[in-house]
Amino acid sequence: MAEILQFPRRAAGKAVTAANTVLTEPLRHWPAHSVDDYGRDPHLVQALSPLAHLRWNVSVGGTQHLPVKGGALLVCNTRRWALSNIYAAWALSEATDRPVRFVGRPDFVPMGPMLRRIGGLLARPDEVLGALRSHELVLISCAMSNHSRHAGEVDHSLIGAAVVAGVPVFPVATMSSAMSRTARAEVGPQVRPRRKRKGPLAEVELAEQVQHHVQRMLDGFGGMQTGVAPLDWLAEG
Amino acid sequence: MGGELGSLVAAQLEAEPWVGALVGIDVDPPRRRLRTAEFHLLQPSQRERIVDVVTNFNPHVLINLSVWEPDARTGLTHARQFTADATTAIVGAAAECPALESMVVRSGIEVYGRARNTPTRPTEFTPVDPTTEYGRMLANIERSAREVGKRMGIAVGKLRLAPVLGKHVPSPLGRLLRQPVVPFSLFADSPFAVVEDGDAARAFVAAAVNRLDEPLNIVAPGAITASQAIVRGKRIPMPLVGPEWAIARQLSHLAGAPIPEHVVELMHRGRLADGSRALEVLGFQPRLTTPDVIDHLYAWESVVRVGLIREVA
Repeated sequence: MAEILQFPRRAAGKAVTAANTVLTEPLRHWPAHSVDDYGRDPHLVQALSPLAHLRWNVSVGGTQHLPVKGGALLVCNTRRWALSNIYAAWALSEATDRPVRFVGRPDFVPMGPMLRRIGGLLARPDEVLGALRSHELVLISCAMSNHSRHAGEVDHSLIGAAVVAGVPVFPVATMSSAMSRTARAEVGPQVRPRRKRKGPLAEVELAEQVQHHVQRMLDGFGGMQTGVAPLDWLAEG
Repeated sequence: MGGELGSLVAAQLEAEPWVGALVGIDVDPPRRRLRTAEFHLLQPSQRERIVDVVTNFNPHVLINLSVWEPDARTGLTHARQFTADATTAIVGAAAECPALESMVVRSGIEVYGRARNTPTRPTEFTPVDPTTEYGRMLANIERSAREVGKRMGIAVGKLRLAPVLGKHVPSPLGRLLRQPVVPFSLFADSPFAVVEDGDAARAFVAAAVNRLDEPLNIVAPGAITASQAIVRGKRIPMPLVGPEWAIARQLSHLAGAPIPEHVVELMHRGRLADGSRALEVLGFQPRLTTPDVIDHLYAWESVVRVGLIREVA
């Protein structure tokens, strides 16, 4: 008669299970989150919020202009190294209780994926169009400027995404200081095109109008007010 | 009709009132009990037999699901050959059927590719630019179907599925995520979307009913990153930064879960797509979100109870 050989299968199985339990025990209470359709992680954004508060104390205004539902394109001015689009998107998200996605993340590791997790999108018209069609609030920036009270040119191809999607466009004036936490993000009323155009002139004219609106809002902010007159005078350039 | 997705589609089509007769071809027997469908066990290389079966049946609607994902059921070389053979035979046979009104083919969101600066969430209007071999295989299927559709003047629907996961679906991504230790890209940890096999099957039935004539993304709502999926599955995450991926792929292969090129790309660059058009065109919405599909993947019973078996003789 042949003899049946019994391998110590159960014992080996128990050992593997025990080892797995020990190794995965630290993960048992780890929160199992997920990201949204564009890779933004609301839990990470919430977790990083105290850090953002350490750097910026943003006063937000004009959020009543923004739609409660549906997509909208926001256009803000940006000063070199000020990260205006990031703090404005973060502050507006908090104020409106809706995710505001900023445009202009790079597509290389590790910055690209990191910024995507906090709501960054690529500066591509199709990317912006997709987000607007998905009823998202998207914030794009004017061309970078060295002066905090100067609105640079607005990329008309990105504005074109809003024209194609048929969503409203809002100007956002931002201002921050390199030396203090104080920052401001003010949303203006919807920019409506002066003339109805069927062709690409619609986006070109709308882009110019938006830039003009942002500039007007920045002019309305007034100059730098540190409390030290010579410094304010110097900051005026 | 023999694979998990094919069997699901066949079972759902049997329940449709507009379906008169149903014929299926596959290399494996059906995995579900089919009541009225006629099944032919044929290899993709048996082109003449396939053409005979299809032309004799002369269908009104043809659904081509014969896609071999690399390292799902076979390695890359065989997957490429089987997929090409099956596409030539089935799509070619379709051109010989005078009654044919509509063809629906399986494709995937891998056709968009993930080159640098490509859209995070491509829509159906994003140009096809595959960056992996699997993506190129799928793009070839779409091209063949489109050419036949133009020549015959029939509707050709292309369903670009997100990676299909299910408890019993052979998938390299599913197999990788179910390993006890799962590697992930520490610096990228990009988001991806998936679709459940049952939802994918429903999409094919909806496309057949509506005589779909365009490409559509079929993607479960929401997204998840590899590290989040690993934590959900209570697996041990193994962060990798770059060069050690080659070693991890070899080790994983030895452990029985090979990681093909398109899954590595998914881990590094992510894989999302905009699936909102499926609701507009087909009225189709996946039942499960991406995190739900991942949870479903991990809730895998080792024994499947099929109910009481009665003795009839």
